[in-house]
Amino acid sequence: MAASRSDATSLPTFDGVENLITMTDIQKAFDELCVEEESMNGELDNLLEHQTALENKMSGLHKILPNLQILETDSKQLSSMVSFTSTLAENVSSKVRQLDVAKSQVTACITRVEDILDLKFCTDGVQTALQNEDYEKATGHVHRFRSLDENILRMSEESGEGSTLDSSFRLLQEAEEKLKSIVNTKFDAAVHSGDFASIERFFKIFPLIGLHEEGLTKFGKFLSSQIAEKSRGNLMIAESVTHKDKNANVIYAETATQLFESIANIIEVRQPLIETYFGSGKLFSLMKILQKECDRQVRQILEKFKLKRDFDAVVQQVQQNAVFHRPSATEKFDPKVLDVLLSEVVLLNTRTELFLRFFRRRAVGDMESAYSNDDLKEKIKEIDKFISNCDLNRLMQELIGNYIMMEEFFMREMVLKAVSMDTVEESSHTSSMVDDSFYIVKKCVRRAVSSSSVDGICAMLNHASTVLEQDFREVLFSRVRAGFPSGFDLTQAYNMVQSSIQQGKLQSSDQEKAKTTFLVAMNNAEVSCEYCKSLKSNIEEEVLRSFSKSSEQSKAKLQSCVTDLGNVAVRLKEVVDFGVSQLRSSAIKPRIKPLTDAFLSTSHNISEDDFSNYEANDPWVQNYILQIDNMLATFKSALSTENYDTFVSQVTTEVTFQLEKAVLKTSFNRLGGLQFDKELRALVGYLSSVTTWTIRDKFARLTQMATILNLERVNELLDYWGPNSGPLTWRLTPTEVRNILSLRVDFRSEEIKKLKL
Amino acid sequence: MDDYKYLFKVVLIGEAGVGKTCLVRRFTQGLFPPGQGATIGVDFMIKSVEVNGEKIKLQIWDTAGQERFRSITQSYYHSANALILVYDVCSQLSFDNIPHWIQEIEKYANTKVFSYLVGNKIDQINRREIPSHIGEQFAKRYEMKFIETSAKEAENVDALFYDIATELTKQAHQQALETDKGVNFKAHNTSTISSCSTCLRF
Ligand SMILES: Nc1nc2c(ncn2[C@@H]2O[C@H](COP(=O)(O)OP(=O)(O)O)[C@@H](O)[C@H]2O)c(=O)[nH]1
Ligand SMILES: [Mg+2]
Repeated sequence: MAASRSDATSLPTFDGVENLITMTDIQKAFDELCVEEESMNGELDNLLEHQTALENKMSGLHKILPNLQILETDSKQLSSMVSFTSTLAENVSSKVRQLDVAKSQVTACITRVEDILDLKFCTDGVQTALQNEDYEKATGHVHRFRSLDENILRMSEESGEGSTLDSSFRLLQEAEEKLKSIVNTKFDAAVHSGDFASIERFFKIFPLIGLHEEGLTKFGKFLSSQIAEKSRGNLMIAESVTHKDKNANVIYAETATQLFESIANIIEVRQPLIETYFGSGKLFSLMKILQKECDRQVRQILEKFKLKRDFDAVVQQVQQNAVFHRPSATEKFDPKVLDVLLSEVVLLNTRTELFLRFFRRRAVGDMESAYSNDDLKEKIKEIDKFISNCDLNRLMQELIGNYIMMEEFFMREMVLKAVSMDTVEESSHTSSMVDDSFYIVKKCVRRAVSSSSVDGICAMLNHASTVLEQDFREVLFSRVRAGFPSGFDLTQAYNMVQSSIQQGKLQSSDQEKAKTTFLVAMNNAEVSCEYCKSLKSNIEEEVLRSFSKSSEQSKAKLQSCVTDLGNVAVRLKEVVDFGVSQLRSSAIKPRIKPLTDAFLSTSHNISEDDFSNYEANDPWVQNYILQIDNMLATFKSALSTENYDTFVSQVTTEVTFQLEKAVLKTSFNRLGGLQFDKELRALVGYLSSVTTWTIRDKFARLTQMATILNLERVNELLDYWGPNSGPLTWRLTPTEVRNILSLRVDFRSEEIKKLKL
Repeated sequence: MDDYKYLFKVVLIGEAGVGKTCLVRRFTQGLFPPGQGATIGVDFMIKSVEVNGEKIKLQIWDTAGQERFRSITQSYYHSANALILVYDVCSQLSFDNIPHWIQEIEKYANTKVFSYLVGNKIDQINRREIPSHIGEQFAKRYEMKFIETSAKEAENVDALFYDIATELTKQAHQQALETDKGVNFKAHNTSTISSCSTCLRF
């Protein structure tokens, strides 16, 4: 504190004393020095005050001083003692370390001595074992010898053991070579003589003498020859099967299945043996060898299959017919024969897929217990590549390719046939082509599904969509597009349509024929739309079930193709909608319009007398209802339930449309409004009775018109309008309301204008 | 799931080895796959693109070129909104086979399908066998659009698919307009595009 203060004042006081030129500066410096002097004095006083206390403390410290000297000597002594101890400890620990090294050297030495003893023991043992044909024992010795580190053992050569070691090694190496050749020969001999016990005995020796691959190859070849022999036998039996045999139609698929089963069985039985003696991760090597044999055998089975079933000729014929689109193509084939052939192909593929799935599962499973992470991925890739490139797979891809072509041909031809043989059955709204076509399509797609080939199924789903859209829907659409002819004598025309349908045969009149064709086509489209939806959901369910464990990619492909099939329903619905629009313009409108026009010739500006007269002799609505009823009845028998509902809905729409127009052209008084209300109630009541849904909504505008026409006074409208409308939602605009009010002859237009709406 | 305005099906066809799979991978995953095996049957990928601010989904079907898969791949033509026929500019053979593929298109696809002729592998400058103008002439004759690409160097690959998405979107808009005017009752499969817009949400 004091130091910093003297720093602050030093400048003007001493260094700058020459610079103090003016009086004011000097005065200022002097003042500052005075202030400083004063504070110094204060500080000195303060220190003097404490003097006695400080002196007391000093004398206390003087008394302690001798003790501190003792402390110093003591600690010096302690320090030298500690450093002495530490040196001692270090000496001891280095001895222990040396001891450790010595100990491990002794252990190594013991091991080496043991190894050398072992080597000697092996050398002697292997000779005896070989002499005694105890190959397992000899193998044990060689295996032990192979585990010794020759270089380390040779280090002890200088110590006089050299020559003995040398000869031991030579002997053992000779023994190993000898053993290898003996095992090879013995294994071959065992295979030759079919001595299974010996085959297995020597197979186990291979990995112990470092011959893993050789062992697996030899064993694989042996198993292959067994597979081949068995399969040839089965194929021979298959060739001799007669028609009557219950398996005759699928005999080649069965023969292939037997082959797959025998291989699967071998893998199943041999897997533990290989795992135990060869270790994990080796099974795939053996499986590859077996698969090669499988490829060869399947090729032979397929060759015989094609020969027997005349497969190539059928394929060629179908190809040509498909290319030239010969109309009578089916004549050449007995569909039943094709049917049978396709079923066998599908079965062949199903069994193949099952087998390949088994193959992959086993190979991957074995790899999983030997490898992990990236190594495992690499191995699995190798397995997948092997499977996708194996002959069996290629052969099946070819077969499925041909199958799809034939199945599509079969489906298309049968659908075309169903369409060309189309007949209208009595008591049915649809014709035979619908049930027949969907039966075929469903059959073909489901057969494809049973093949388990994802690409095959997708292809058939696509083809099914195409056939249904092109060959089936187009026919219905062209029939509907031809239109519904509207004749002059409508009542008669309707009656004839009705009777022609009831009699189940077409009448001579071209127009009648056209009408029936139109209505049936429309029903067909509507029913087909439903069939299509249910076909889609059935197939979807089946596919989801069968392929729940497949890859996401496969599932996505299937889903997409199934969805496309479902979309055909949308296209069929378009045909129905088009038919409905046709009916509306050529049947409903021309009929409803004149009937509604009759409303215009019924006065609604009436007296009390007129009103009661109308009560007794209905002027319009009863006949109107009767005519509509006739018309609906005619179409009810000719249309499917769905279409009939749509038809009634269209009629209702037309009725309300025409009637609205008529009302706007009519003059009313109060009683006339009442009359209209009665008429409307009758009409709504009737139409409600013939529909399954509520039609009141369609009549909302007309009902509101009737309400307006029934008012006592113009202002009474406000009881129903705006805040007073309650649950009523007005479907009429304010302008329309004024227009309707002005239809009342007894309402003054100024009053209507004045209404605040 | 996510929303999109239209979904279009694009099918790639052409001889094996011309680079169809590489084109699809380049476009959908932005990579050039090293040594993948030949396509088996049909592969399937989806990629969304934006056309004038509208989200468009392209469903891309990559087919195998080998003969034995022909009947499977043919089944995809009919519902395709666009077809991409690919050849290898370094392979006369692949180009010589183009007429055969065009026949296939005429036979199985919709008459009005939007189709593209694509000459791939233009990065191999020194090995080129088919000059650009030959390919272009050919495309003109068959009323196809034409572009040359390199899946390896990512040249024109996005351009190809974006052009397809743009053209199909334009067609779909026109169609929607016609439907609104009520003239959509034509004979041939005219509403595939619009009906597709509701399909396949998984
Ligand atoms: N240089 C070059 N090679 C390509 C190109 N596209 C594909 N390839 C190679 O052509 C071969 C076949 O390609 P891939 O896509 O499998 O043909 P795909 O059978 O038509 O599907 C592969 O070896 C690719 O690496 C390219 O643009 N340039
Ligand atoms: Mg490919």
